[in-house]
Amino acid sequence: MSVSVLIVDDSPIARKMLRRALPPDWDITIQEASDGAQAIDIYRKGSVELMFLDLTMPNIDGYGVLEVLQAEGLNCIVIVVSADVQPQARERVLAMGAIAFIPKPVNPEGLQEVLRQYGILV
Amino acid sequence: MNDEYNTILADFIVERLELGVFAVDAQFNIVLWNRFMHTHSGKSAQSLKGSNLFTTFPELPESWLKRKIESVFALGNYAFTSWEQRAYLFRFKHNRPITGGVEAMLQNCTFLPLKDEKGKVEFVVITLQDCTDNALIQQRLAEAITISDEERRKQQELIVKLEDAKNQLFQSEKLASIGQLAAGVAHEINNPIGFVNSNLGTLERNVTDLMKLMAVFESKEAELPEAAQQELSKIKKDIDFEYVKEDLAALINESKEGLGHVRRIVADLKDFSRVDQSGWQIADLEKCIDTTLNVVSNEIRYKATVVKEYGHPPLVECVPGQINQVLMNLVVNASQAFPERGQITLRTGEEGMYVWIEVQDDGVGIPSENLQRIFEPFFTTKPVGTGTGLGLSVCYNIVRKHEGELTVRSEVGKGSCFRILLPIFHGKMGESEELEAAHSVPQ
Amino acid sequence: MINGLNEDQSAALQELANIGMGQAGNSLALIWKEFVHLSIPRIAMVDASRLPDLILSFVGDTAVSASRQAFHGGFRGEVLVVVTARDRNGLAQLMGYEGQLDAAEREEVLLDIVNILGGACVGGIAQQVSAEIGFSAPSLIGEDLDPLDVINPEQLAIDTALSLEVCFQVENRSLTAHLVILLPNNEVGALADLLDQFLCTLEA
Ligand SMILES: Nc1ncnc2c1ncn2[C@@H]1O[C@H](COP(=O)(O)OP(=O)(O)OP(=O)(O)O)[C@@H](O)[C@H]1O
Ligand SMILES: [Mg+2]
Repeated sequence: MSVSVLIVDDSPIARKMLRRALPPDWDITIQEASDGAQAIDIYRKGSVELMFLDLTMPNIDGYGVLEVLQAEGLNCIVIVVSADVQPQARERVLAMGAIAFIPKPVNPEGLQEVLRQYGILV
Repeated sequence: MNDEYNTILADFIVERLELGVFAVDAQFNIVLWNRFMHTHSGKSAQSLKGSNLFTTFPELPESWLKRKIESVFALGNYAFTSWEQRAYLFRFKHNRPITGGVEAMLQNCTFLPLKDEKGKVEFVVITLQDCTDNALIQQRLAEAITISDEERRKQQELIVKLEDAKNQLFQSEKLASIGQLAAGVAHEINNPIGFVNSNLGTLERNVTDLMKLMAVFESKEAELPEAAQQELSKIKKDIDFEYVKEDLAALINESKEGLGHVRRIVADLKDFSRVDQSGWQIADLEKCIDTTLNVVSNEIRYKATVVKEYGHPPLVECVPGQINQVLMNLVVNASQAFPERGQITLRTGEEGMYVWIEVQDDGVGIPSENLQRIFEPFFTTKPVGTGTGLGLSVCYNIVRKHEGELTVRSEVGKGSCFRILLPIFHGKMGESEELEAAHSVPQ
Repeated sequence: MINGLNEDQSAALQELANIGMGQAGNSLALIWKEFVHLSIPRIAMVDASRLPDLILSFVGDTAVSASRQAFHGGFRGEVLVVVTARDRNGLAQLMGYEGQLDAAEREEVLLDIVNILGGACVGGIAQQVSAEIGFSAPSLIGEDLDPLDVINPEQLAIDTALSLEVCFQVENRSLTAHLVILLPNNEVGALADLLDQFLCTLEA
C-alpha cells in the first residue's frame, strides 16, 4: 500500500529538490502545500502519514504547524527540512514532536537513512 | 611537467619568495614556516615545526587572531588584514635600516584555507606582504593631499576675505559719499544759521534796550493818575510781567547756547570730512581730537568717561581728515573694550621732531598672542557683523603714510594704550617756511 | 519574477540563497558561539539611482558604517555590509577584540565583518550552483554615514543591479548587520546560466 506524503515548503524549487531526494522506487502518493495554513488544512483531512515540513514560511511557519499538530494529537510522522541548520533550531523542533531534522540541501542518502532508521522505509 | 618537478618548484617558490608564508592547523600548531619568516623572526622552521603559534609568540593578539583563524577554518574563505588598520601581525624590523621613516615593517596579510578533498579546511596558510615602501609612499601622498587641501581651504578663505574687502570698500565709498553729503548739508545750513545767529544778537541787544526803557517807566509809575496806575498793574498781573522780565534773558541765553551747539556740529562735520580742504595741511592735533570726540560722542557717551591730558605740542604737517579717521578708530576700539563702563584718556606731547598722541583705556586688554595680529587686516575678536577687523590696519597704513609709528602696549585685565607718533615736518607742503611761520604763531 | 531572471530562475535563486544563508548562519554560530538569526533573503532588481533608497529601507534612518568587498569567478559582484554605529562595538567583541577600540580597530572590524558575512553568504550560494568564487581584500566605505550616502549612484559603473539582502541578528547581543550582495546587470546572465544548470539537474 502506498504511503501518503505531504511536502510543505513555500518554495516550489525546494519541493522539487525534496521530491528528487526521495527513493525513486518508493510507493508513495505525494501532496504539496506552499504554506503552513494549507498544510494544516490537508492534514485535517486525515490521510497524511508522513510530512516533510519547512520552517521559514509565510502565513503559518513550520513551528506554528507543529504547535497545531501537537494540539490535535500529532497523527502523522513529521520530518523537518530546513535551511536553518543551527543546533537550536533542531532541538526546538524535536522537542515539538518532529522525529527528525534534515538540513537543506537534502542529500538523498541521508534522507533514506533517516527513513530506514524510523522504519518508514524497509 | 611531472608531479615531482611541480613539488620542487612549489617548495622553491614558498621558500624564496619575498613574502612571509606560514601555516597552522586547527590547534594553531605551526606546520609551515618559510625562509622570510625565519629571517625576520630569527626562529627557524626546524625549531618551530609543531609548536603552538601563541605559546611561541606570546606578543601576538591572541583573542582576535584565534577568532580570525577559526573563522577561516569554519567558513573556508579567505580573510585579510591591511597595514592601514593593523600595522603588522608580527613585529619585524623594516627593510630601511638606513633610510628609516617607520618603526616596524608594515604588513598586509592574507589568510588562505587549505582544504582536503572533501572540502574541509585542514590548514590555514597565512601570507605576510611587506608593504613598508608602498605605505610610506601612500602616507606621503596622503600628507601631500592634506597640505594641498589645506592650501585650497586657505585660498577659499582668501576668496571670502577678498569678497569681504570688496564689500568693505563699497562700504567706505558709501561712507565717503555720506560724508560729502553731510558736509554739503553742513555748508547749506551754515548760512541760515549765520543770520539767525546775528539776528539773535540784535534781538538780545534790543531786548536789553527795551528793558532799560521799561525800568524808567516803572520808576515813574507812581506819578501817574490813579486810574492809569490801576490799569497798568492789572495788565502787569495778567501777563505776569515780573516772570516775563526774568524769563526773557534766559530764553535768549538758551537759544544762543543751542545755536552755538548747532554751529559746532556743523563746523565739526565740515572739519571732519575736510571736503572743502583736503590734502596736506598744518593742523592742531588737539583740535583734531576734539572734533573727533564730538563726532563720536554719541557712540561713546554711555560707555566711557573721557579725560584729556593735553601737552600742547606744536602744529603738525598732516592730512587732518586721515588723522581724524585714525583717532576715531582708536577711540571707538577703546570704547568697545569695556565690559561695562570705563575711562578713555587722551594725551598729547612733543618728543624731538615728533608729536605723539596716546589713546589709553582701562578695558579688557589684549592677550599677547593677539598683539602681533591686531594690525592685520581682518583680524577681529568681535562677533560676526560687529567688527570687520579693518580698523587698526587702516590706522596703521595711514600712520605709515605719514612716516610715523603706531604702537601698542597692553595688559590683559588692565587695559591698552595706542600711541601715534607723527613727524612734525614732511616738506609735503612745498614752502616749509609756511609751516615754521605757522609754528611761531602763538596759540 | 525579477527582471533579468525568469520565474524559475528567481525561485531557484531564492531557495539557493536561503540554503546558502542557512549554512552561513550555522558557520557563524559556530565561530561566534551565539545563535544567529537570518532573515529570508530579499531579492530585487534595482536601478542604480534607487540604491541609496534601498539601503535606507534596509537600515532605517540612523547613522551607519559600511564596508565592501568584491567577489569574482562564476559570477562577479560586490557585497556591502552596513551596520549601525551602535552595533559596531558588539560586533567587535564577537570577533575577539578586547577593550576600547581605537579608530584603526574600528575600521578593521568593519573589514572583517564584510569578509566573514560576504564570504559565508556568497560562498554558500556559489556552492549550491557549483561555482568557484574568489574574494578581493575588503575596503572601507565610511563611518557614521547617512544611509543615503553609503552608495553614490553617480559613481556607480552600472545602471541596474541585482540586489540580495539578508539581515543578520545575533539574538543574545541584539546586534544587527545588513548584508547586500550586488550583481551588475551584465553579470545576471552568468548567474542565470548557473541557475539553469541547477534547474536542469532537478528535471532530469
Ligand atoms: N582698545 C582695545 N582693547 C582691547 N582690544 C582691542 C583694542 N583695540 C583693538 N583691539 C583688538 O584688536 C582687534 C582688531 O581691531 P580692529 O579695529 O582692527 O578691528 P575691529 O574693531 O574688530 O573691527 P572694525 O573693523 O569694526 O574696527 C579687535 O577685534 C580687538 O580684539
Ligand atoms: Mg575697530
